[in-house]
Amino acid sequence: MAASSTSSDGNAGGKQEILTINQRRWRKFKTLKRGYFSLVFLCVLYAISFFLPILINNKALYVSYNGTSYFPAFRDLLDLPLIGPIGGTPFISGETLGQTGNKAEALYRDLQVQYEQEGGANTVVMPLYPYGPIEDISVAGNEPYCGPFESKNNSVPRILGTDDRGRDVFSRMAYGFLISLSFALLVAVIEYIIGVPIGAVMGYFGGWIDIIIQRFMEIWSSLPYLFLIIIIVSIYRPNFGILVVLVSAFAWLGVTAQLRAQFYREKTRDYVAAAISIGVPTWKILIKHILPNSLVPIITFFPFAVVSGISALVSLEFLGFGLAPPTPSWGEMVGVGLREITSGYWWLVLAPLSAMFTTLILIVFIGEGVREAYDPKTFSRLR
Amino acid sequence: MLEYFIRRLLLTIPTFIGCTIVVYAIVSTAPGGPLDMQLQALKRGSGGETGTASNVQGQNIPPEAVEELKRFYNFDKPIPVQYMMWLGIMKRDAESFTLKPDEPRLVGNGIRIKAVAGNGGYTIVDADNPSQVLSDWLWETKKMPSGEMKVRIFRQEYSGILNGNFGTSYTYRKPVMELVQSRIPISTQFGIISLVLSYIVCVYLGIQKALRHNSTFDFASSTIVFIAYSVPGWALGAVLLVFFSTESFLPLFPLGGFEDKMYSEFSFIDKVIDRASHFVLPLIAYMIGGFATLTMLMKNSLLDNLSQDYIRTAFAKGIREQRVIWLHAMRNSIIPIAANMGYLIGVFLTGSYLIESVFGIDGIGKLSFEAVVARDYPIVFCFTVISVSVTLVGSILSDLILSLVDPRIRFK
Repeated sequence: MAASSTSSDGNAGGKQEILTINQRRWRKFKTLKRGYFSLVFLCVLYAISFFLPILINNKALYVSYNGTSYFPAFRDLLDLPLIGPIGGTPFISGETLGQTGNKAEALYRDLQVQYEQEGGANTVVMPLYPYGPIEDISVAGNEPYCGPFESKNNSVPRILGTDDRGRDVFSRMAYGFLISLSFALLVAVIEYIIGVPIGAVMGYFGGWIDIIIQRFMEIWSSLPYLFLIIIIVSIYRPNFGILVVLVSAFAWLGVTAQLRAQFYREKTRDYVAAAISIGVPTWKILIKHILPNSLVPIITFFPFAVVSGISALVSLEFLGFGLAPPTPSWGEMVGVGLREITSGYWWLVLAPLSAMFTTLILIVFIGEGVREAYDPKTFSRLR
Repeated sequence: MLEYFIRRLLLTIPTFIGCTIVVYAIVSTAPGGPLDMQLQALKRGSGGETGTASNVQGQNIPPEAVEELKRFYNFDKPIPVQYMMWLGIMKRDAESFTLKPDEPRLVGNGIRIKAVAGNGGYTIVDADNPSQVLSDWLWETKKMPSGEMKVRIFRQEYSGILNGNFGTSYTYRKPVMELVQSRIPISTQFGIISLVLSYIVCVYLGIQKALRHNSTFDFASSTIVFIAYSVPGWALGAVLLVFFSTESFLPLFPLGGFEDKMYSEFSFIDKVIDRASHFVLPLIAYMIGGFATLTMLMKNSLLDNLSQDYIRTAFAKGIREQRVIWLHAMRNSIIPIAANMGYLIGVFLTGSYLIESVFGIDGIGKLSFEAVVARDYPIVFCFTVISVSVTLVGSILSDLILSLVDPRIRFK
């Protein structure tokens, strides 16, 4: 994205600053407040979301029991952003912390109450919001379909209530942000890894390679892609990584088409002819000479690739073909909320969707800013 | 020009075959297909305990039955053969019976037939009139596990999508064509109305934005356009549904569906009102899909044209502003919008299974989505055929419209 173009080449001291084109674009981008602040805001949110296990979690930050210190929540930090079911790590059983009869993971919220009643030196420090994204009704005190601020069994109010299995909606929403955005970023990156070389080869070499791949792309783009992903997911139940690859496998066509056109145009330029005539190897011409000159359309496309990645994931989750449960997911909550819509569980629909809308709009604002920064035309455009 | 479009049409054939092969291959090689489901159901029916498929075959279900089922689903043949049968370029069994020699059997067209042994093989004859040999029936001998020899007699015919036969749905037990035909009008109603409305709204908005470029109106509507661009239609539909259909907020519209249960008993005016109230929210959800692209395309295309020399000339000649905009600039600006129509038709015709799921509309999208879940392959394949064809035809249609509205464009 635009942030990568900040590399400064020593122009200090000179009266008149000489800026590279990318520096000028970056400055232009910074003047576009809406896009710039969206970028800053989203980056901060994303950075914070990596620390979710110590901000929003049902595990304690710090437990001091009989003189021994434990840091259960910090173990989860390493789990993320690897998106299997969170909490698969070895846990500290309830008995080691004085919760009699609990051989399973300690219930830290109960533990806090217990220690307070005992009044000893034992302490529990809970995270800011002490509910985990995957603890469900099997944990005492969690009840399904609690409205926002309606839960009576919990001392800390549940900001957005609970879902059908008694899991905290706010907590799932927050973790869902990390998962959705990571998913979409990965999809976009893989999309580029597949799409860029293919597009480059097609555009530069042309001929039979171009024709064959074009036929193939036509077939690929005519397939009902979400439908096919559903079929594959319903059969093989993939994990995070495979789902990323699956979605990117259908999404690279746009990048390829754009890069192909760019390479096709650039290869007739004089600098390419010059490079060929002094004997620069082909791969070097492709990577060092043409690629940097072909990046504009695909850089401006990146935020929109992320947008479609998030949309695709949430759509799949909504249909029940996303990441394996109980992974925190926005779409799954919407699905439950809509299935039970007559019961009025509106928060299950509105909470995750407003998170999704906010994220998507921020990214579109960034994309719009980037596009405008790269665009010499004075009016704004989409795509 | 005509040549170009004929060539384009011919080129869709390999693309179509390629697409269907991909889908067919993915679906057919998947484990847990209808055969496995049927076997599971049979096993449960015969009171079996859970076990592996092999023990299913070994213990509860006689191997002949399994074989019969496989033949019924054509799974006894290799996948390429299955594909060609489905396409209708290879014959498949239309009827098949396993009989003892000389045992008569009533078949589909109302005659009783039997297999008569003779000169090293069998002859299939009309049982009531043994002199009449039925040459379209074929036979093969089969050794039963009991050691008894039986004859499987069968009749083959071309029966694939090229012959208009999309097979029979496994779940509904009805011809797929019949099911799809009953669903298509529902999806297309939404599709066509939203297409028309989209064009009206977007073209108008785009023009206004272009004419008032950089005004407050332009800025405000741009924000709406961005939001519309980033929000998927079904998600907006879900939000609208919660706000305007549930008791929690403002229950103005029905909770989805296509029409009221009592629809057929309504008076004409009630029918119109009922249908309209069912349409409002889904239509908004449908329209938002193309809203941003269309509006911005219209705006930018008009802005582009307004900065052209011929517009300056027109103004210089003293033509009124309205006339310049509507007669000169608009005619050129509408070209890219018109060309977009072919693609959008594709999107709208096949319906969206997401929007249809949200609103519980029994359209073709929902039908095919449920078919994927239930592994109802004939419907899945039928939807693939429809969706691929609509996409392919849509892109040709786009070029066709483009060449119609823009005489400068000549495809070669």
